Amino acid sequence: MRRLLFKAAAVALVLPLAACSTKGGAETNSTGVTDKEITLGVMADLSGPFKSLSTAITQGNELWAKDVNAAGGVCGRQIKLETVDHGYKADTAKTLYPQIEPKVLGFVQLTGSPVMAALGKNIEADKVTTTPASWSSELLNNPYAMIVGTTYDIEMIDGLSYLQEKGMLADGDSVGHIYVDGEYGANGLRGSKYYAEQHKLQLHDVKITSTDTDLTNVVTGLKGQGVKVILLTTTPKQTGSAAAANKALGLNVPILSNNPAFDPALLKSPAASALDKLYIVASTVPFSADIPKAKEIAQKYAAAGYKEPPNAGTPYGYAVGEVWGTVLKKACENKDLTRDGIHKAMQQTTSADTGDLVAALNFGTPGAPATRQVYVAQPDASAPGGTKYVQPLFEAEAAKAYKAPHEGQ
Amino acid sequence: MTTFLQLMLNGLGKGAVFALLALGFVVIFKATEVVNFAHGSLVLFGGYLVLVTKDTVGWAAAAVIGIVSAGLLALAVERLLLARSRHADPFSLALLTIGVDVIITEEVVRRLGVSLPFIGDAWDAKPLQFAGVTLFRTHLVALGVAAVLITAFFLAFRYTTWGIALRAQAENPEAAALVGIRRSRVTASAWLIAGLLAGVAVLFIATQDFSGAGLSRGTHSIALAAFPAAIIGGLDSTAGAIVGGLAVGLVDALSTEYISFAFAKSAVFLVMLVVLVVRPAGLFGTRETTRV
Repeated sequence: MRRLLFKAAAVALVLPLAACSTKGGAETNSTGVTDKEITLGVMADLSGPFKSLSTAITQGNELWAKDVNAAGGVCGRQIKLETVDHGYKADTAKTLYPQIEPKVLGFVQLTGSPVMAALGKNIEADKVTTTPASWSSELLNNPYAMIVGTTYDIEMIDGLSYLQEKGMLADGDSVGHIYVDGEYGANGLRGSKYYAEQHKLQLHDVKITSTDTDLTNVVTGLKGQGVKVILLTTTPKQTGSAAAANKALGLNVPILSNNPAFDPALLKSPAASALDKLYIVASTVPFSADIPKAKEIAQKYAAAGYKEPPNAGTPYGYAVGEVWGTVLKKACENKDLTRDGIHKAMQQTTSADTGDLVAALNFGTPGAPATRQVYVAQPDASAPGGTKYVQPLFEAEAAKAYKAPHEGQ
Repeated sequence: MTTFLQLMLNGLGKGAVFALLALGFVVIFKATEVVNFAHGSLVLFGGYLVLVTKDTVGWAAAAVIGIVSAGLLALAVERLLLARSRHADPFSLALLTIGVDVIITEEVVRRLGVSLPFIGDAWDAKPLQFAGVTLFRTHLVALGVAAVLITAFFLAFRYTTWGIALRAQAENPEAAALVGIRRSRVTASAWLIAGLLAGVAVLFIATQDFSGAGLSRGTHSIALAAFPAAIIGGLDSTAGAIVGGLAVGLVDALSTEYISFAFAKSAVFLVMLVVLVVRPAGLFGTRETTRV
C-alpha cells in the first residue's frame, strides 16, 4: 500500500512537469524563444553577387525589428536577429547552418536559390519556417518555405503581358532570354516558356553562370536572331553588360528583368546610359514608392545612418518582417510559439498586410505563390533607391491561368 | 554576315588584351623559366591603385600610378622573395608565386566595397558605329596599345643590349654569367616589365566593354584566362603571345555564337590541348632539343 502511495505521489509530481513541455506555447520556451526574446535567423549574401540586394533586405529586417521592439515586441518578447554571411555559396551556407539553426525560431531571410536548394532538406527536417530571399516557385514544394511576394515565373509572365499591352511585343515575335544556371534562372525561363507558348513567341534562351559578366557576344548573337525583347534572369552585373551591349550594338530593344537582376549601383556604372530600356518586374515596391508605408521606411532608413545606397530590398526586408509579425502574433494567440506552431500559424495567414509594400499575401494554399501581383519599375537615377514604378500592382490574365509547378500537390 | 563580322571584331578586341597579359607571362618565362602565377594579382593590385587614386589625382595620373605600382610590386616580389631562392627549381618558384597570388588577391578583394569600380574612364562605353557594326573604343585602344608595346618589345629583344642579355640568359644561363651578364639585373627587369604590362592590361579589363564588370575577383580570373593564350603561342615567344591572345579572343567569341556560351569557356582549353598535342612547345615556342 505504501508502495502504491509512493507511485501515486511520483506521478502527481511528474504530471505538472509534463504540462510544462514546449507545447505549452506562449508561456514556455522552445528553440529560439526565451521568456524575453524571440531570435530569428538571417542568412544573407553580404559579400557575393547579390550583396547590395541582400544587404538592403537585412537592413529592412533590422528596421522592422527595431520598430517592433520599440512598440513592446511580440508576445511580450523582444525580437533579436542573428545574422550570418554565406556570400551566395552553398558550401559556406552548409557550414554556417548547423551553427545558427539551434539558436533561431525561424529564418526571416535566406538569400539565394543555390543556398535554399542546399539547405532545403535540413529546413524541412528541422521544421524551421524560412523566408527565402529567392522567389522560385520550385521552392514551394518545401512546406516550410514562406515566400513573401510572387515567384520568378510569374514575374516573367506578368512582365511579358505588360510589354505586349504597351505595344512593345506582338504575338509571333522573336524573344531572347538570358538566364543563370540554377533554380533562379530555370524558374524565370519556366515563365517565359509558358508565355511564349501562349503567344507563339520564338524564344531563344541562353544559359550562363552567375560568375559570367560579359554578355557582348551573347547579345551579338541575339541581335542576329532579330529579337524584339531581351529577358534577363541574371545578376546585376550581367544586367549591366546586356543593357550596355543592347545599346552599343544598336539593337536597342526593351529589356525585361526579374527583380534581383537590378542594383542601383548600375546607375553609377558605364552602363547607366543604357538602362532606359530596362523594365524590372517585382512584387515589392521601389524604395521611393509614393505610398505612406514606403515613405515611412525611407525616413527610418535615412535616420538609421546606413552607409550603403538604398534599394528595393529595404522595403521588402521590412515587409517580410511585417509578415513574420503577423505569423508570430497568430502563433502567440494559439499559445504555441514552437516551430510547429509557427508553421501552423503561417498556413492560417491568408491575408498578411504589409501596407502595400508587397501585394496582399495568402499562404493558405500549399504549393501556390502567395500572390500573382507585381509592379513594373524602371531605373531612375534621380529617385532614392534607383527605381520608379511605371505600372502599379496588377495581375495579368496569363498569370492567373498559370499553374505553378507544385500547386495543388 | 554582320553577326560574324561583329563577333570577329569582339574577338580581336578582347584578344589584344589577352595578348598583353600573355606577354607578361612570356617576359618572365623567357628570362627565368618561371611561370608567374601571381600575374592575376599584379593586375588586381594595379587596378586597385587606379581606383583609390583617381578621385584625387584624376584618371590619367591614376592610370600611371596604377601601372607603375604594379611594376614595382612585381619587382618587390622578385627581389624580396624569388631572388633569395636563386638556386631553387623554376617549378618551386612557380609554386611560390601561387602563394603570393593568393595573399595579394585576397587582400585587394577584401578592400573592395559594394560599388562596381570600373576604371577605363577614358574609353569605356563609348562605342563607335561603322558600316553596320560596332567598334568598342576599349577594344580599339587596346589593339593600338598592344601593337605599340608588343612591337617595342620585339625590337628591344632583338636589338638592345638588354634584349641580347635576356636572350643569352634564356639560352644558356651559365655561359651568360661567364661573359658578365648580371643575372639579377636581367631577372629583375623582366619582372618589372611584366608588372607594368599587368598595370596596363587592367585598364582595359575592368571595363564595361571588356568584362562587363568592375574591379573584382573576376578581374583576376580573366587575367588567368590569358594563361592558355601564352601556352598556345609558346611560353617563350613574343609573336606567340600575340597569336595566342588573338586566338583566345576569337575562339571565345565565335564558339559562343556557333556552338554555345557554355562551351566557349572550355573551347579555349580544348584548343590549347590540341596545340600541345601537335606542338608541345606551343605554336611559336622553342622546341627543346637534346643531343643523344
